[in-house]
Amino acid sequence: MAKILIVDDSSTVRDEVSTFLKSSGLDVITAVDGKDGLSKLQGDPGIRLVVADVNMPNMDGLTMVEKIRKDLRNTAVNLIMLTTENSAAMKERGKAAGVKGWIVKPFKGAAVLETFKKLVA
Amino acid sequence: MVAEMTSKETLISKVLILEPETGPTDELKAFCDAHQLVGLKVHKDSLGAVLRTNVDLGGILFSEEYGGSPAENARLALLIHSLRPELPLILRLSTHKALEELPDNLRHLFCAGYDIEHIDRLAEAVDRFIFCLIYPNALLRGIAEITIQVLESQFPRLEILRETPSIVNDRVIVGEVFSLIPLESGWCRGYMMLQTKAGSLLDVSGSLGPPSTSANIRIVNDRMSEITNLIWGAFKNKYVGDTSLPRNFQVQVPLIVNHAQKYISFGTENPQLCFGFRLRDPSAGVSLDIHQRFIFNLNWSPEMFSEISQDVDTMIDSGELELF
Repeated sequence: MAKILIVDDSSTVRDEVSTFLKSSGLDVITAVDGKDGLSKLQGDPGIRLVVADVNMPNMDGLTMVEKIRKDLRNTAVNLIMLTTENSAAMKERGKAAGVKGWIVKPFKGAAVLETFKKLVA
Repeated sequence: MVAEMTSKETLISKVLILEPETGPTDELKAFCDAHQLVGLKVHKDSLGAVLRTNVDLGGILFSEEYGGSPAENARLALLIHSLRPELPLILRLSTHKALEELPDNLRHLFCAGYDIEHIDRLAEAVDRFIFCLIYPNALLRGIAEITIQVLESQFPRLEILRETPSIVNDRVIVGEVFSLIPLESGWCRGYMMLQTKAGSLLDVSGSLGPPSTSANIRIVNDRMSEITNLIWGAFKNKYVGDTSLPRNFQVQVPLIVNHAQKYISFGTENPQLCFGFRLRDPSAGVSLDIHQRFIFNLNWSPEMFSEISQDVDTMIDSGELELF
């Protein structure tokens, strides 16, 4: 089954999002920052959707998605940002990196579930 | 647009009133009511305990008659200074005509003096040492709204009560856990600090066992981190936006934490802007107090304050997915 990778330095968010998605029948793995996210993605070809925070230690989420998009092995991977950030400049940078969508925290699972399912189908 | 600027209509400050039974209580009560001060009268026998336990104080109004004798007065003034040196201590003169007439070892303890016939001098001192920074009303309202929204999202079952925002001069660390996050913009630079008690946070989170277990430590830290992050993000989106940061962005000052004294200094004498929230679960009989403080220690230019306006047509609610 296609998987969703949740990348967030907050364990509260990782737990909350992954618990919701798993309870909705989706397969989820988690990473604690951008570096960890890249590593998990490279090690698991089943990942079809990455949901990433922006502000994280070691490597921020936008840098991570830019690296993901530059790697031709990841063309089938969809990218969504889940963050407190809502600035136009950051969204532009995300769009330029191939991000498909932007969610401002807090996470409301019901509002995004159907889209997430389509993106991993 | 120039923001509506006034602190005193929407802010209060809590002060200790150290007066004898025969002191001018009515005059001081009227003064406090007129100047957004919440006075807390303290008997001298309980002064030490009150100083050790009261937080969120703006200052202390001390009377020359409080101790009953010059020697006792000096002892009490030195006690206050040793326990809470950061609090402005304002002296009501009755024996002496001016602070300069006090003995050298006492004079430096007081930031200002007044007598009851010239209470306007007390007003000047309160403006200078307590309400010395101006806060835009829109900022006060906005911080409260942002914080309540975040707390509601994190504790959906709890009832949330908000205190009137206040000006505090103390540097006391409340509870066992606090978070700090920098606030950086063209009009402010400093920190937001959240403080609370770990046990209360666990109680309202429905966690069992003492706060010292590794699982509970993690719950407390993660909850505080997430609440802080969400408020910070909303603050940035509402008040900072994409504005470029000023040239003096690199300036920093050390923060000092004294664990034994439960004391934190941000390297400035400026008072702090404090918001208090109480979260209650009446059915379980548990509650949580969150102390939120804003310390603009590196830059405070409220005349440049502005809110980020968003195009209503393109606005997306938090939690909704904005597809590109």
